[in-house]
Amino acid sequence: MPSTGHDVGAAGEFQDGKPRRFELNGRAVVVVRKGGEFFAMRDGCPHAGASLAAGRVTGMPLPCRPGEEAEYGREGEIISCPWHGWSFDLRNGCSITQPERYRAKSYRVEVRDGRVLVVAA
Amino acid sequence: MTPPTKPKSARPKPGQPREPATLIDCDVHNYPVNTAALAPYLSKRWNEFIRQCGFVAPQDTSYKGGYPFNARRDATTPDGHRPGADPAFAAHQLLDTWNIRYAIINTLYGVPFINNLGFANAMMRAINDWNAATWLDADPRWRGSILVNENDPEESAAEIRRAAKDPRYVQVLLFARSFAPYGQKQFLPIFKAACDVGLPVGIHFGGGLRMPVTACGWPTYYIEHHTGMTQAFEAQVISLVCEGTFERFPDLRVVLIEGGFAWLPPLMWRLDKNYMGLRHEVPWLKQLPSEYIRHRFRATTQPIEEPPDPKHLLSIIEMIGNDDFLMFATDYPHWDFDAPDRAIPSVIPDALRRRIFSTNAASCYAFDRS
Repeated sequence: MPSTGHDVGAAGEFQDGKPRRFELNGRAVVVVRKGGEFFAMRDGCPHAGASLAAGRVTGMPLPCRPGEEAEYGREGEIISCPWHGWSFDLRNGCSITQPERYRAKSYRVEVRDGRVLVVAA
Repeated sequence: MTPPTKPKSARPKPGQPREPATLIDCDVHNYPVNTAALAPYLSKRWNEFIRQCGFVAPQDTSYKGGYPFNARRDATTPDGHRPGADPAFAAHQLLDTWNIRYAIINTLYGVPFINNLGFANAMMRAINDWNAATWLDADPRWRGSILVNENDPEESAAEIRRAAKDPRYVQVLLFARSFAPYGQKQFLPIFKAACDVGLPVGIHFGGGLRMPVTACGWPTYYIEHHTGMTQAFEAQVISLVCEGTFERFPDLRVVLIEGGFAWLPPLMWRLDKNYMGLRHEVPWLKQLPSEYIRHRFRATTQPIEEPPDPKHLLSIIEMIGNDDFLMFATDYPHWDFDAPDRAIPSVIPDALRRRIFSTNAASCYAFDRS
């Protein structure tokens, strides 16, 4: 059975790494595109409530050993809060530094017939 | 004023039968009575250098308070020498009086104040040899810390490997005030050597010649200097954690000596909070900064903070979150000595008290290594 979802627009309206905010069923949701992939999560930082849609979509220095040159990776998959810089994994809404403690709800996104659908918001 | 606290262990009286000694004192100080006392441990070259230039002692940068040599007035030796100059008298006045099992001597000789690195390193080795021959040999209850010179990490590493062959050395000793924070790359040889020989690194109150004790310059009074020293400890803790020292050296333990500990919980919170937004700078960290502090550091108690309500001290220990964290110290013979039967308030439960007085130090330091 096809899942239902909130239509937030045509895929072509989304630019890579440029977050957009929507109100879906009274909940603020931020939607981010990375190439052919779309991510959606609750648009309120679990820390102090800022809109993540006003933040930056980035990558991150990957874990490394002390003294090593950190490799930069996961481009387009991390969103950082515009206030205190807390960063979250767009794939699951989890804080990068304390994933067990801080998490924004994430939503599945489907693209059907060129339309972007946020599921179960 | 601190409310009176019930002593948990009375001072043993002379002649009174004693329990087997378990108390461990993690911070005691000694001093060569003069530079000539170091002559047997220096080469001809450096003895001649001392004679030639009239070297007396490293410049003493400590602020002058109300106490000669910053020491208890009753600790002057029977023959009139400075406190900490006579191992037999110290053994009597400290170890016997308090029934101490082991006491760790931290020899605060200002080697890092000597700008001639060759001479400084010779004095570093001389102090460690003098300490072994005159104090550690004098009483089996003494244990030592290997004094090193942060201005020459390579030579310090070599000294650690050399001196650690004497199993009575149980720690590497650095001063809290260094010319740069200890997490930085230039100090790695010191921490590597300490880990290679299996000793913790102690960071002790003091040091500094090039840097003021506070972050905004030189204060006027000793009271400011003494109180403000926590800033140096904070800088070292922050640096060692953020630079990933504990990820480089999984076995490293660092002991904060005479820096107090009540300032640690807010530092842990502040550092964790900043890590949330600034993790990208330090991608080698695998835990919250506070976790490294909680589990990889230890602190000695003296000068123990004395909040008006002693219960708050217990709260602070709970905030640090590790019952292994604190180890008792007197700081004998200094003026701010903490007495074993008075320093730890009675609100500290017995099980924790035993840890602080004995078992924490026994597991941090290898007192009986061979």
